Amino acid sequence: MKKEFNVVGHRLPMIDAAPKVTGSAQFTDDLVFPGMLHGKLLRSPFPHAKILNVDVSKALRLPGVKGVVTGAEIPDRQYGIVPKARDEYALAKGKVRYIGDEVAAVCAIDQEIAEEALDLIEVDYEELPAVFDVRESIKEGAPVIHEGVANNTSFAIKKEFGDVEKAFAESALVSEDSFYSQPVNHAPMEPHAAVAQYDPLRGQLVLWSSTQIPFFLRRNLAATLQIPESKVRVIKPKVGGGFGQKIDMFAKDFCAAWFAMKTGRPVKFVYDRDEVFIATRQRHPMYLTVKTGMSKDGKILGQQFLSYADGGAYNSTAPTMMALSCFFLMVPYHVPNLLYEGYHVYTNKPVGGAMRGHGIPQARFAVERQLDLMADRLNLDPAEVRFKNSIKAGEPHPGGFVINTCGFGESVNLAAEAIGWKEKRGKLPFGRGVGMGGASFPSGVTNMSHISSGAVVQVGQDGGVNVLTGAADIGQGAETVIAQIVAEELGVPFEQIRVTAADTGTTPLDPGTFGSGVTVRAGNAARIAAASVRTKIFECIADELEANPEDLVAKDGKIFVTGSPDINVPFSKALKIYQYRDLPMPLVGRASWMADTKEPTTLFNEPGNFSPNYSFMTQAAEVEVDTNTGKVKVLKMVTAHDCGRPINPMLVEGQLEGSIAGGMGQALYEDVIVEKGQVMNPSFLDYGFPTTLEMPEMGLIDIETDDPVGPFGAKEAGEGTQLSPAPAIVNAIYDAIGVNFNELPVTPEKILKALEEKKKQK
Amino acid sequence: MKHVITLKVNGDIHEVLISPNQTLLEVLRDKLGLMGTKRGCDLGACGACTVLIDGEAYLSCILLAMDATEKEIVTIEGLSESGELHPLQQSFVEIGGLQCGFCTPGIVMTAKAILDEEPSPTEESVKRKMAGNLCRCTGYKKVIEAVMSVPGRKEGQR
Amino acid sequence: MRLPKFDYRRPESIQEASIILLDDPSARVLSGGTDLLVNMKYKVETPSTIVSLKSLSELNYVRQANGVLRIGALTPLKIVYNDTFVAQKLPALAIAAASVGSYHHQIMGTIGGNLCQQTRCKYFNQSKWWRSSRETCFKAGGDMCHVAKKEHVCYSTYCGDVAPALLVLNAEVVLTGKGGSKQVPLESIFSGEGKTPLKLEPGEILTEIFIPEQAADGFSTYKKFANRESIDFPIVGAAFWTSRTSLESRVALTAVDRKPLRARQLEDFMKGKRLGDEVIEAVDGLVAKETRLMMSSTDSISLKRQLMGRLVKAAIREAMGGI
Repeated sequence: MKKEFNVVGHRLPMIDAAPKVTGSAQFTDDLVFPGMLHGKLLRSPFPHAKILNVDVSKALRLPGVKGVVTGAEIPDRQYGIVPKARDEYALAKGKVRYIGDEVAAVCAIDQEIAEEALDLIEVDYEELPAVFDVRESIKEGAPVIHEGVANNTSFAIKKEFGDVEKAFAESALVSEDSFYSQPVNHAPMEPHAAVAQYDPLRGQLVLWSSTQIPFFLRRNLAATLQIPESKVRVIKPKVGGGFGQKIDMFAKDFCAAWFAMKTGRPVKFVYDRDEVFIATRQRHPMYLTVKTGMSKDGKILGQQFLSYADGGAYNSTAPTMMALSCFFLMVPYHVPNLLYEGYHVYTNKPVGGAMRGHGIPQARFAVERQLDLMADRLNLDPAEVRFKNSIKAGEPHPGGFVINTCGFGESVNLAAEAIGWKEKRGKLPFGRGVGMGGASFPSGVTNMSHISSGAVVQVGQDGGVNVLTGAADIGQGAETVIAQIVAEELGVPFEQIRVTAADTGTTPLDPGTFGSGVTVRAGNAARIAAASVRTKIFECIADELEANPEDLVAKDGKIFVTGSPDINVPFSKALKIYQYRDLPMPLVGRASWMADTKEPTTLFNEPGNFSPNYSFMTQAAEVEVDTNTGKVKVLKMVTAHDCGRPINPMLVEGQLEGSIAGGMGQALYEDVIVEKGQVMNPSFLDYGFPTTLEMPEMGLIDIETDDPVGPFGAKEAGEGTQLSPAPAIVNAIYDAIGVNFNELPVTPEKILKALEEKKKQK
Repeated sequence: MKHVITLKVNGDIHEVLISPNQTLLEVLRDKLGLMGTKRGCDLGACGACTVLIDGEAYLSCILLAMDATEKEIVTIEGLSESGELHPLQQSFVEIGGLQCGFCTPGIVMTAKAILDEEPSPTEESVKRKMAGNLCRCTGYKKVIEAVMSVPGRKEGQR
Repeated sequence: MRLPKFDYRRPESIQEASIILLDDPSARVLSGGTDLLVNMKYKVETPSTIVSLKSLSELNYVRQANGVLRIGALTPLKIVYNDTFVAQKLPALAIAAASVGSYHHQIMGTIGGNLCQQTRCKYFNQSKWWRSSRETCFKAGGDMCHVAKKEHVCYSTYCGDVAPALLVLNAEVVLTGKGGSKQVPLESIFSGEGKTPLKLEPGEILTEIFIPEQAADGFSTYKKFANRESIDFPIVGAAFWTSRTSLESRVALTAVDRKPLRARQLEDFMKGKRLGDEVIEAVDGLVAKETRLMMSSTDSISLKRQLMGRLVKAAIREAMGGI
C-alpha cells in the first residue's frame, strides 16, 4: 500500500537553492573580516626526506608578513579522523613523507606577500629512499615511512566465517582473478578553505571551514592546539562539494587557527587547485584478488579476498575504509563462507581517504567483474546469476547484518528490463554492448565517540519552525531533507521550516557527512524532536477536540482526530491556545538518535549489524566502443534503486546522476598519474573528468521498500549509487568487444591494445 | 606600478586602484566585494569564474582587470532585478539544476550568454557550449534540463 | 594562483606594440590570454611587460574577396568558425577552431594567439612549487630537458588545433614589425625547436592569416583525438585537404612534434593517386617517419603513433565518401 505524504516524497527545490543561484550563498572563501590575514603553506618537493633545518628568518623580515610557523613549533599531538589511526601533524615534524607534505606556514597582509614569503623560507632536506608501489612497500627492507609501523602496514584486517576451503571443494567452478583500481581525486569544485578568528580576552576560537565533519574537526583542533573543546567553535558555511575529501582536519584548519591565536587577527587559508589534487585526499588505489567458488547453476558457495590498499603517506580513515571494503562484500549477494584479508600499506604518495563509497567501489568492481567472468565460464546469464544470489530481507545473514528491507532481487530484474537486457546482451553488433553491476551501501558508519545525531525543533508563536541540526549539508540537500521530515511530522507546509545547521556552538552534535548516514541519523533525530513538539501541542489541545492526545493527527496545517479531518483545530490556533495556557514559547522538542549497530572494528571479531539499514541497487549500462580510436561512449545508464523511500525524489535523482558521472570517471577517464611520487596531472585540464558532452542518457527506477528504521522509510541514497556504474560499464565493454578488463581506468590505449591482441590471436 | 581603472559592473561604475597583475576575478571579489563569481581553479579550466563581458561568456580568472575596462561586465549578482529571480535562475531552482551551488554562478552566466544569443537553442548546442563549465555534483542532466526549459517560460517573467 | 608582477602597456597601434617589444626583449604580447596568462601563473613565463593588444580592434576581421580569405590575427575563434565562408568552404578551419578548448576559450582566444601558443610538456606546464622537485627545465630557463634527459635541448610538443588546418589550406601569415610587413608561408614561422617554438624577428607580431583561393577548391577536415570532447588539448590532431579538381592532397599533424607539420612524404606518395586502399595502407608507415614523438605528455608514444595514422585514414575515408 503506497503511503501518501504531504511533504516527504515530494520533488521540492532545495531549501537554499535561491541563494546559490543568485551567488549570495556564502562559501568559506566568501567570508571577509576586517584586518584579515592570508595564509599559505610551504610543501615538500620530495617524497621522503628528513627535515634537517628550516630557516624562516628571511620570510619573517619581509614587510607584511605577520607570522611564520614550522612543525618544530607546534604541539606534539598527532591527529586523525579515526582516533586509533592518528598519525599526522598539521606541519611535518622531523621528516616529510610525500611530495606535498606541509613543512611551514606563513600569514601576511595579502596573498602576494604570503607567496613571496614562502620563497624566502630555506629548508635543508636529506632525501631518503622512497617507495611508491604498495606491493614493494609491504616487503621486508622497504623504506620505513612511519616509525614503529612494520612493513609499512598500518592496518591488517582479517574477517572470516564459515569454511571457504570446504566451499571451494564443493564448487563446480573455482575462479581466482586479480583486479586493480586506480587512485581517483574527488575534485570538488570548491577548493579547501578555512577562516579562523580568535578572541584573546575570552580565549574563544571560531573556525569557519569547508568541512564535512564540524564536530570531529572541533575535537581534532582542540586536541592539537591543546585547548578545551568548549573554547573551539567550528562553523560550516556552504560547502562546494566534498565527496569525502573534506573529512579530516587539514593544515589549513590548524594553521588558520594557530595564526589567529598568535596574531589576534582573522586568518584565511584557501588551497590552490593543484594543492587539492596533491595534498588533500584521494580514493585508495587497491589491488584485490578474489577467489570464488560457485555451483554449477551459479550459486556463490564461498569467497576469499586478498586486498592491498595503497594508503599513501598517512592513515586518514584507514581502518574504517578497510572495514567497509571488507564488510560490504557480504551484501548484496549471499556469501555463506567468507575469508577476507586486507592490508592498508603506506607509500610515499598522496594520502588515501574517504571517497564516495569509501573502499567499496574498488571491492565492488572486483566482485561484479568476477561475477561476469564466472557467469561466462559457466555459460550462465550474468543477470540471472545476480538474481539467484541476491540476499533477501529478514533472512539470517552470515555476517550478522540485520536486513529489514531489501529490494535487490527486484532491482536486478528492473534494471535488466530497462536496459533491454534480453534483446541486447550478446546480440548487439560488435562495438555495442550492455552490462550490469549490483551494489549495497550502509546508512551511516559508526565511528568512535561521535556516533549519535541530535536535533532540536523550536516552534515560534507564528508557526515558524526552526530546526537545529548538526548535519553538514555539502550540497546533497541534507538540510532540505531534514526540513521535509520535520514539516511532515508537524503537518505544516515546507515553507514554514527554517534550518540552522552545522555550528558546534549552537547546534546539537552530529557525526557529519560520511558513510551516507545523514538522512537516517539526523533525519530520525529531527523526526523524533518534531514528534515531541507535536506531542506537547496535542497534550495541550486534546480537550478542545474532546479526544485523547494519542488519537490526534497533524496534517495540512490542521490537527484533528484520526479519521475526522473536518473537525479540526488549525495549527496556528493550537499554538495560540498553547501560548495562552502560559506555556513557554518557543515550543521546543529535542531528541537524539543512535544507530543500534556495532563499531566496524568490533565486527572483525564477532558477527553483528553494521548499519541501521542498507540501500540496494542494480545499475545497467549500454556502451559503444569506437574501435578506431578506442574511445568508449556510455550511451545509457539505468539504475533500479531501493533507498527505502526517497524523502525528495528530485534530490535522490540528483545524487544518482552525479554518481553516474563519478562512476564513469572512475571507469574510463580519471587517474591520478604519479611518477616517482609526484602527481603529474594536478589540474582540471590534465585530470579530465567528464563534461556535459560525455554524459549518457540516465534513468532511475525507484523501488520503495519503506524501511522500518529510517525516517519515513528512508535509507541512504547517493553513495551506494557510485559503487556499480564502473563495473556496469566495464561489463558492458566485454559484451561490446569481447575483452575483459580487470584494471581501471579502461582507457582508449588499453582498448586499442586489447583489440590488437585479439586480432593477432585470430 | 598601480593604475586607477574604471570598471562598469552590473550597471554601476567603479573606480579602483589595482596592479596590472590582478585578474578581473580578483578585482570583482576582493575589491568590489562581489563574491558570487567563484574561483574553482584560477587557470581557466573549469568555468566557475564565468562573467559576461559585452554579453559574451568570459573566464574572469584569465582576464586582466586592466583589459576589462570600457566593457559591460555582468556578474551573477547582476541577473536578478529588484530581488526577483531571473527566469533562468527560477528554472534552475525548480528543476534542481544545482546541488552544492559552487559551479552554479558560472553555469548560469554561461547559460545566459547562450540564451541571449540563441533564445531557442537545441540541446546539442547547449551541451556543447556548456562543456567548459565543470560540475562534480549534478552529472549535468538537470543543468541542461534547466537551461532547455527557459524558452518555454512566460515572457512576463522577463 | 597569482600572476607575477609586470608592467602593462596597451598600445593603440601595431607599430606602437612593435616598438615596445623592440625596446624590451622580455615584453610579450597578450591577445586572448588563455595561453600566456596560465603560463604566467605557473611562472614558466615571466615577461617584464605585457603588451595588451585589446585596443587593436582593426585586427578583428574575416574578409573574403575573390575567393581569397584574410583573417585578422586578433579575431576570436568563435567569429572565425561562425563565418559563413569558413564554415562552408574551409571546413578544416571551422572544425579546428571549434575544437579548441571550451566555448569560453573560443570566445576569448584569438586565431593568432592560438597559432602562436607555447609548446607544452608535463614537466613545463606546472606550478613553480611543483617544478621545484627537480631542476628548472631548459624551456623554463634552466639547462636540463627532463623528457630527453639531456641538457640544452627541449622536447616539448606543439598542441595547437588551428595550425594543422591552416597548413593544409596552404595558409600564409603576415608578420608586422618596425620595418613593415611581410607575408610568409605559415610553416616558416615554426622553428621546430621546443624552447623557442616561433621564428619571429624582435618586434615582429603576427597580424594576419591569408588563405589562398585554392583552399576552397577542395574538401577539408580536421580530426582531433582527446580524452574529452571539450577543454582538452589534442593528444593527436590531423588535418586533411584534397583537391576537387586534381589528384593532390595535403596532410598536417599537431601534437606529434615541436611544431605542427605537413606529412610531406605521405603527400608525395598521394600525388597523382586516387584516394583508395593503396593510399590508406601507406598512411601509417609514411606518417610515422615524419614525426618525432616524445614523452612530453602523460599520453604514451604508442597511442599517439596509432592514432596519427587512424585519424588521417578516417579523414581520407570521409573525403572518399563525400567526393
